[in-house]
Amino acid sequence: MANDAHVPELRYASTVDEAVGELARLGADGAPIAGGTWVMLAPLRRMPTHRSYVALTRVEELGRLVEGDPTSIGGAVTMAGLRGLSGPLAALGYAAAHSAPPAIANVATLAGNLRAAPYPGADLVAPLLALDAALELASPDGRSTLPLGDYLASRDARPAAELIVRAIVPAPAGRRSAYERLTVRESGEEPVASVAVSVDLAADGAVMAARVAFGSVEDVARRSAAAEAALVGGPLTAERAEAAGKAAQGELTGREGLDAPGWYRVAVLPALVRRAVARLDAPLEA
Amino acid sequence: MPIELTVNGRRHELDVPPFYPLAVVLREELGLNGTKVGCFEGRCGACTVVVDGRTVVSCIYPVGLADGAEVRTVEGLASLEGPLSPLQDAILDHGGVQCGACTPGVLMTLTALLEATPSPSEHEVREALEGNLCRCTGYQGIVDAVMAVTGGAR
Repeated sequence: MANDAHVPELRYASTVDEAVGELARLGADGAPIAGGTWVMLAPLRRMPTHRSYVALTRVEELGRLVEGDPTSIGGAVTMAGLRGLSGPLAALGYAAAHSAPPAIANVATLAGNLRAAPYPGADLVAPLLALDAALELASPDGRSTLPLGDYLASRDARPAAELIVRAIVPAPAGRRSAYERLTVRESGEEPVASVAVSVDLAADGAVMAARVAFGSVEDVARRSAAAEAALVGGPLTAERAEAAGKAAQGELTGREGLDAPGWYRVAVLPALVRRAVARLDAPLEA
Repeated sequence: MPIELTVNGRRHELDVPPFYPLAVVLREELGLNGTKVGCFEGRCGACTVVVDGRTVVSCIYPVGLADGAEVRTVEGLASLEGPLSPLQDAILDHGGVQCGACTPGVLMTLTALLEATPSPSEHEVREALEGNLCRCTGYQGIVDAVMAVTGGAR
């Protein structure tokens, strides 16, 4: 058998508290599992597997998606479950709809996308950063909320018994967002680079606030203050969008990879931002 | 603890490691060799089966996560003695099968699609097939077959 990922044991939890309790007992030997797409490929990635996994598929709370302002997205909501998001959360819906083929999107989860590392091409991270998402986390000490950016900065050192319960995503009426990803081929590919843009507009169409996050360019997705500053204070035009992409080029360092060299990931940013901004007015493609 | 699966309507209690890929359990434990294993990394879609109504790539789906689930494979589309399903017939008629390695996965993807969307557009058919690699047919015969079965507009 080519895949040797059948050795670990699997425990089942039916509540968040039960899952956290199991993970606390297991310590460094344990990890959560939901869709399995990351864990099952760990041997191929030459990454270690854990001795035990706690299955989250029966934890009803983690599968809840409640739309509103804010929208609450359970950690085990799948990519397929997110693809219908539109309006203020269009960037997230588009990213989920284009990140994986259906049979993967049916099981791959929000929390899996956020926890997986190293995984520069994780498509949900940049949209959630641009949408100012926070994470509700559960641990043996109780529940807490952390901005996504802070979570990513500390991801490698998070406690073993911590679960992502849900993402809390502001979705005020009138906010617009879009996501653009560049791939070598159209489907089945991780992005060479991606951008998520989220804006609030004044009545005259001027950008009052902008959040711009880039994925797959560096090892971990992040926002670009320079790109955001370049968008604020004027209308959403192709020229101003390209200027925002050029501003980001001064802040980002492209990672080297087999799919693309680092310089290329940075060189495409003006075009990517222009395309994302052009989509801010378009209906969600699903 | 045994893992319970209902496969093509038949219930099984299996004493297998929970991280065995579902595809391996179907083929080696249950003798259902219709499910093909191609890449073994979730990229080719040859191993696509339907679990509780949704498609999964069974080569990277741990059987433990399917505990209690209803699984459908290509063997469930038609009985050994009976006729092929309309979709199977149409794919044969339209040249949608050549080497056949991708066919079981394609059939399960399309079965799930047609149950959720009985009259898909050609775009929806092609989008559904995004994860099923076929290196023989160029997909056109497969798409033609679906449109013929559903009477869909091109």
